[in-house]
Amino acid sequence: MFTATYVAQQLLNGIVLGSMYALLALGMTVVYGILRLINFAHGALVTVGAFTFFGIFVVLGWPFALALVAALVVGGVMGFLLDLVGYRKLRGGPEVSLLITSLGIYILLENFIKLLATPQPYAFRPPAFLVQLHNVGGVAFRTVDVFIVAVSVLIMVAFALFVKRTKLGIAMRATAESVEAAQLVGIGVNQVVAVAFVLGSAVAAITGFMWGAKYGQISYDMGFMAGVKAFVAIVIGGIGSIPGAMIGGFILGLVETLAVGFLPPGFAEYRDAIVFTLLILVLLLRPTGIMGRKEAV
Amino acid sequence: MRRWTSLPGGVKFLLGIAALFLVLFIANSTLNRYVLHVITLIGIYSVATTSLNLTNGYTGLFSLGHAGFMAVGAYVATLLTFPVRLRIAYNLPLLPSFLGGPEYQWPFLPALIVGGIVAAIAALFVGAPVLRLRGHYLSVASLGFMVIITTLAKGLKDLTRGAAGIQAIPRYTNIWWVYAWLVVTIYVIWRLLNSSYGRAMLAIRESETAAQSQGIHPMRYKLLSFVIGAFFAGIAGGLYAHFARSIRPYEFSFYMTFHIVIMLIIGGAGTLLGPTVGAAIVIALKYVLKPVEEGLGIYGLVEIIYALMLIGVMLWRPEGIAGGVNPLKFLMPKRKGGS
Amino acid sequence: MPLLEVDRIHVYYGVIPALVDLSLAVDEGMIVALVGANGAGKSTTLKAIAGVLRPRAGRIRFRGQDITRLGADRRVRLGIALVPEGRQIFSTLSVRENLLLGAYHRRDPEVKKDLEWIYSLFPVLRERMHQVAGTMSGGEQQMLAFGRALMSRPKLLLLDEPSLGLAPLVVREIYRVIEQIREAGITIFLVEQNVNMAMHVADYMYVMEAGQLKMEGVPQEVMRDEDIKRAYLGG
Ligand SMILES: Nc1ncnc2c1ncn2[C@@H]1O[C@H](COP(=O)(O)OP(=O)(O)OP(=O)(O)O)[C@@H](O)[C@H]1O
Ligand SMILES: [Mg+2]
Repeated sequence: MFTATYVAQQLLNGIVLGSMYALLALGMTVVYGILRLINFAHGALVTVGAFTFFGIFVVLGWPFALALVAALVVGGVMGFLLDLVGYRKLRGGPEVSLLITSLGIYILLENFIKLLATPQPYAFRPPAFLVQLHNVGGVAFRTVDVFIVAVSVLIMVAFALFVKRTKLGIAMRATAESVEAAQLVGIGVNQVVAVAFVLGSAVAAITGFMWGAKYGQISYDMGFMAGVKAFVAIVIGGIGSIPGAMIGGFILGLVETLAVGFLPPGFAEYRDAIVFTLLILVLLLRPTGIMGRKEAV
Repeated sequence: MRRWTSLPGGVKFLLGIAALFLVLFIANSTLNRYVLHVITLIGIYSVATTSLNLTNGYTGLFSLGHAGFMAVGAYVATLLTFPVRLRIAYNLPLLPSFLGGPEYQWPFLPALIVGGIVAAIAALFVGAPVLRLRGHYLSVASLGFMVIITTLAKGLKDLTRGAAGIQAIPRYTNIWWVYAWLVVTIYVIWRLLNSSYGRAMLAIRESETAAQSQGIHPMRYKLLSFVIGAFFAGIAGGLYAHFARSIRPYEFSFYMTFHIVIMLIIGGAGTLLGPTVGAAIVIALKYVLKPVEEGLGIYGLVEIIYALMLIGVMLWRPEGIAGGVNPLKFLMPKRKGGS
Repeated sequence: MPLLEVDRIHVYYGVIPALVDLSLAVDEGMIVALVGANGAGKSTTLKAIAGVLRPRAGRIRFRGQDITRLGADRRVRLGIALVPEGRQIFSTLSVRENLLLGAYHRRDPEVKKDLEWIYSLFPVLRERMHQVAGTMSGGEQQMLAFGRALMSRPKLLLLDEPSLGLAPLVVREIYRVIEQIREAGITIFLVEQNVNMAMHVADYMYVMEAGQLKMEGVPQEVMRDEDIKRAYLGG
């Protein structure tokens, strides 16, 4: 039936996809933890990052590292602005207002990109060294796969250290637990939320680059499903848990890839349906996810 | 003569209907087909938005799967009414025999209602696991449901013709069908809100914990409002299919849901007439701006304006446009001891 | 000039008034107690002073500066720290992390020294340094809440029912520390149900009823009032 190399190949693809979901889930869960906001606009930052890189590296022909840094910076700045202009005023009101606004912001960004870049998809050619093909024991992969997994792990470790060791990181966890108590010890909640948005959005922008480099194509609507699935990953991992978000991301990437790889050929087009069926099953059987605590209704 | 405000609600409702149909009658005999087309479309979206209002506006749940329920209604109703002589040609052999099989073409009204019922049953299955959790889960799970439905519509080619969609649907929908259903939708929701069920739903929106302490079982009411909302979404889907005369899976996308959400928010969630006002504004704007967008080649302009309107309303006028000046306020249930 | 002046504030929860035209003052170096029945508005008063709630009318001044519009985090920086009702420690963080967050706004090198001071006030906190705060006993959590507030080096410490739900021995321990804190030059504004306790430590006393001030004075004087005696000391 399936050979060992085929299985290894699928696992590898699943881990690569999972790394990207994990990165997105990370940024989303930090914001969710503090504001209880499913930030739909998070997915738009993926698109923004991909197009920023594309514009600078492919269109302008500037160096790779510069384009990468630019994507990071643009993502971070956008995150800051969205928080400042879009969400800050709505804090403390009904949670659903934040959700609706984030939908509006997503649509705004997506169509703004559509307007600038036209609706057609673009072939995304990363630098040659990233697309170089390798073969280890029959398992084929490109440098970009290694890049994605390595950078993702790096970001996740750095983030784990940040929330564990730095004062700002500890303050972030404290704010997620109780905004009022955080204010009472002198934490500027606006500042903490802004940092969460900036970091999460910058990481999402980098993920956009990864996504384009991995799949070779970018389009104005590429970020939507990625963003929504990142939230599915959070639910699987357990809402409110940072390690849970990462684990959930990897599980989701693996399930999605393996389902497509091992189900009969006709099922490939059901991959999104499979993801959401998994979501509904998790909500039915274990609503707290893998690592999560029970969340008050 | 008695003042308008002193008339009982039921009388006002009937007078309102009479006035509505008088206006429609005059419109129908004086306006051109293009304008009538727009008016009909506004009616269809009003049904959809009003039904979304039941879940999103009155109970504080936030469903993003409305286009999914519309898709269910649209496909079911279409399969039932699809002309027998075209079924072979259009290669739609999978219609189960208990739904008439390949030999029987349903009349419009029962087909619509069955479409609504199937959508309601789907809502029961999605809602039951998700509604006991925090509202956010419902948003994402219902969005997921919509994705599942559209993927199925794409995948079950023997039933739906896949991505190609179904064409040559009989054009049954007209201005009368649509506005009759709008009246029915508003009437049902009005009656519901004024019943003990409605008061329970509003109590849940105010505070679930407080509602629980009054012996209200939130799950039951949330599910009910979700299911009834889905039923009318299914009806709207069926009306839409027999209006557009062709349906494709990707039409029932996130954007359709988004448009309905915008109509609701702009019109004013939690008001009876708000959804209709919102639908009229949003659709009229589209017909004004679409030529501009295409003429200037700036694709995405309409959506950008919608998005800005949505964000603007959320930031500066969260009660919506009709929220403050609701002419049908008298239909709202009275709060105990309230104004 | 008093350290803290509350000047005719009105505070609402939605449309329900919780504080009506409330004025009071706290002088530097004192322990001032605020007593009153359940629901009188004591916690609300402290929250308004700490900046968690905003008064709809009236002013709050701290060391002469108008702080009515400042957020809670800014007031901490000026030297106001609240140990809230129910403690509100960060239950998923360690004891040490909780204490360090108390000094969140501080950049000075004395943070380490203050940490040592807290550990000497509450030796149990040193033993439990790395324990997750949510797993500690109620008394230990109260000490942690104290320690966390002290880490901000407040000039004014607001205490909301520090003895609530604690065993008599722990209560005595807490009050021993309150005296020590005063000796360190920190002014204390204390809400207390346990009027006996409050009477003994306080230099001055306010009595609240239904969102308004009912009486004020030195404790012995206030307690001579027949109504107050009946209400709080059971006759
Ligand atoms: N979050 C809130 N929302 C609405 N009303 C509130 C809220 N918090 C307090 N109240 C009301 O405000 C009034 C004052 O409450 P507060 O907590 O200040 O009383 P207190 O004097 O601290 O009482 P206790 O001794 O029981 O702690 C009470 O009537 C209370 O019901
Ligand atoms: Mg209190």
